[in-house]
Amino acid sequence: MAGSASAGDAQLLDRVCARDQQAMTEVFDKYSRMVYSVALRVLQDQGHAEDVMQEVLFKVWREPQTFLEGRGSLGAWLAVMSRNRAIDALRRRKPTDAVEDVVLVAKTNLASKYEHNSMIEKVREVLKGLPLEQQKSMKLAYFEGLSHSEIAARTGDPLGTVKTRIRAALISLREALET
Amino acid sequence: MTDGEHIAQEDLALYAMRGSSEEESAMVRLHVKECAQCRAELEKLAADLAVVAMSVEQHPLPEGARQRFIEKIAAAPAAQRPTGQATVIPIRNEKPVRRSGAWVPWALAAVLALIAITLGVQVNSLRRELREDTHELADLTYGNIRAQKVLDVLNAPESQHVLLTASKAAPVPSARAIYLASRGGLIFQASNMGPLPENKAYELWVIPANGKAPIPAGLFWPDAAGNASLVMPELPVGVEAKAFGVTIESAEGSATPTLPIILAGATPTL
Repeated sequence: MAGSASAGDAQLLDRVCARDQQAMTEVFDKYSRMVYSVALRVLQDQGHAEDVMQEVLFKVWREPQTFLEGRGSLGAWLAVMSRNRAIDALRRRKPTDAVEDVVLVAKTNLASKYEHNSMIEKVREVLKGLPLEQQKSMKLAYFEGLSHSEIAARTGDPLGTVKTRIRAALISLREALET
Repeated sequence: MTDGEHIAQEDLALYAMRGSSEEESAMVRLHVKECAQCRAELEKLAADLAVVAMSVEQHPLPEGARQRFIEKIAAAPAAQRPTGQATVIPIRNEKPVRRSGAWVPWALAAVLALIAITLGVQVNSLRRELREDTHELADLTYGNIRAQKVLDVLNAPESQHVLLTASKAAPVPSARAIYLASRGGLIFQASNMGPLPENKAYELWVIPANGKAPIPAGLFWPDAAGNASLVMPELPVGVEAKAFGVTIESAEGSATPTLPIILAGATPTL
């Protein structure tokens, strides 16, 4: 698992800004598996997942300054970017999220809490423990990028049911993260 | 999408997952700009969802991926230098040139480089402004479209104004529905609604005039004052309504109404 994003990441990014290839390689070594795994989870194709991973990490090299101010957790940012880019690829739409769209993630301090391995394990357990219908709705929404209406059409469930399942799943997740 | 004041958590989650339509996204962006509560909730949701992404099972990289990346960054270090840190080759550090006129190409190159950098800065700045303007325009456009839709439903002569009252006992809870069948537009406002058990929700139903099964028009939960509203829920277009009804259902909603009907109102006969 990627280590905690901390002062270490800030220093790495400073060096990346100074075009230090070694620093960029360290960022790659630290986060590439996670970025690749997120993309692979969405795309289910190693080649496409590597394309996404290369693109996301190359963006760090190309535009490191975009991460420097108020981005907080580089790991969380990369995970979200990878997921969003993979969904774009899955749905064959143009990449749409500007950096600003992902900033919200980093305003919460994931570095000290969420990126801890035990927290990740906890989240895995919570997700596995959800009722199957909630798991399915979350999977379709988060890892396939479907809207509530699309999920309802896919599963044949009423729209209200889909929304309630996703809401219940998110509540369970929040409770696990806050305890 | 909103309960009158705030955006429902599931809609914020959908936005955070980028599953909202462009119109819905524009609406959320517009709302969270002004609403600190929804903005805070969106931040929390985004963080929660980031952890979902980070919790996926880890897989080893494909063979050679690391080397491909290193070669990629090695191939494009200087060309991708951040704009703000671009430097110009200091021509004054070059060895003195003794031949008369030999400095001219260097000077020209320096001038051209300066021009290129200046233009690059301007292009980046214009791109940023264009992106901000595009977002703002989308927000305004969507706001206008939605406001126009609401006005259409409110003002159309063929809109049906229906007063819903309690079917039995004291007429404390009441609701008003404004429905425009040709647009599938519905605005519903309820007041004095009683509180619900945690696992229950009120559900509004459109009763079609053609005798077909009632159509669910949305779940709602009243606030502490007993007020609730549904604005433009997703409904099929062109369904003439005979009546509207409200029932209490499980929090997931139901495909068919469960008796008793808490509120009911027939559409006026034209």
